Amino acid sequence: MAMARARTLGPIPLSWWGGGLAIGLILTIATALAEPIGVSAQYVVLDGVLLHALAPATVEQSPYLEKTAKGWTLQTYEFFFVLGIPLGAFLSALATRRLSTRVVPSEWAARFGPSPLRRVIWSFVGGFLLLFGARFGGGCTSGHMISGISQLAISSMLFTAALFAAAMLTVRYLYPSPNRPNREGRA
Amino acid sequence: MKLLLGLILGGAFGAVLQMSGASSYTKMTNALRLRDFTIIKLILMAIGVGMIGVNLLDALGLANIRIKDLYVLGILAAGLIFGVGLAVSGYCPGTALAAAAEGKPDAWATVLGGLLGAAVFAFLFPEIEEYLLSIGRYGKVTLHGALGVAGLWLAVPLGSLFIWLAFRLPLKEADR
Repeated sequence: MAMARARTLGPIPLSWWGGGLAIGLILTIATALAEPIGVSAQYVVLDGVLLHALAPATVEQSPYLEKTAKGWTLQTYEFFFVLGIPLGAFLSALATRRLSTRVVPSEWAARFGPSPLRRVIWSFVGGFLLLFGARFGGGCTSGHMISGISQLAISSMLFTAALFAAAMLTVRYLYPSPNRPNREGRA
Repeated sequence: MKLLLGLILGGAFGAVLQMSGASSYTKMTNALRLRDFTIIKLILMAIGVGMIGVNLLDALGLANIRIKDLYVLGILAAGLIFGVGLAVSGYCPGTALAAAAEGKPDAWATVLGGLLGAAVFAFLFPEIEEYLLSIGRYGKVTLHGALGVAGLWLAVPLGSLFIWLAFRLPLKEADR
């Protein structure tokens, strides 16, 4: 519990219920004025637009890129929604004094050591799996979990169940909990 | 105007993710370790409110519904891969962007890894589509559609259940 490391960041400024209520309302407004929220497809769009500019011949090998990054443009509602996320987060972090340049999260450092390179490599690998999985499944936490379940989509419920099962098992492997030995006995 | 709307809604979303701690590696990891339920409560609340809101709009004919395809084997495999990525990075595609904007370099790595993962998927898609996406394919199915009722009939009780659960769960494991 009590980490020796001094925390320089302020407390989390928004409660879970305030944040949850706000996200639910943002989703509702977005669904009324445009479409339900989604993030992961825009990683493909950015890839497509960059590749199209740098190596136009390569992109022709992927009909999926052509279909997702329609018209090779970033000037879409969907892309600007995703562009807004880091902008909004930057402004709120600035306003609440929570900007942070730490490479290694304290929780990670306590388990895997202070090496920044190790953390960066694994977060890169994690990002690779995240977006590969999200595009494979057709959505991420926003598109499948929040928007999809809200629309009562069965594929989104299945995706969410699979992702929580895998994430919880992986985290159990990454951080074996010493305080519940009898539950770990099966390993 | 659509671009500005996107920027405003996305900006609000990013600010809320950042301010509620969803872009914190430690919060995410401890949620998956069932030690800190902040993010779980946040998600339950968001889905509960969103479910009632979206289905209320739909009942009024005002919702732009986008249901995702169900292809059982592919969705299961995709969810499992995504889950491992979530556990390893501690971010999801949206919170990684928020965390990167907070200045966290490991989140930059997650975003770059994500761009590579998305590109690899884009070029593998034809092979994946032929095999995995065709198994257990049911199209755009919803729970209320399968039961033959209007969405609101499920959304109100289910959404209320989610919100109730969100309040019912303790914040930390020690509170139980």
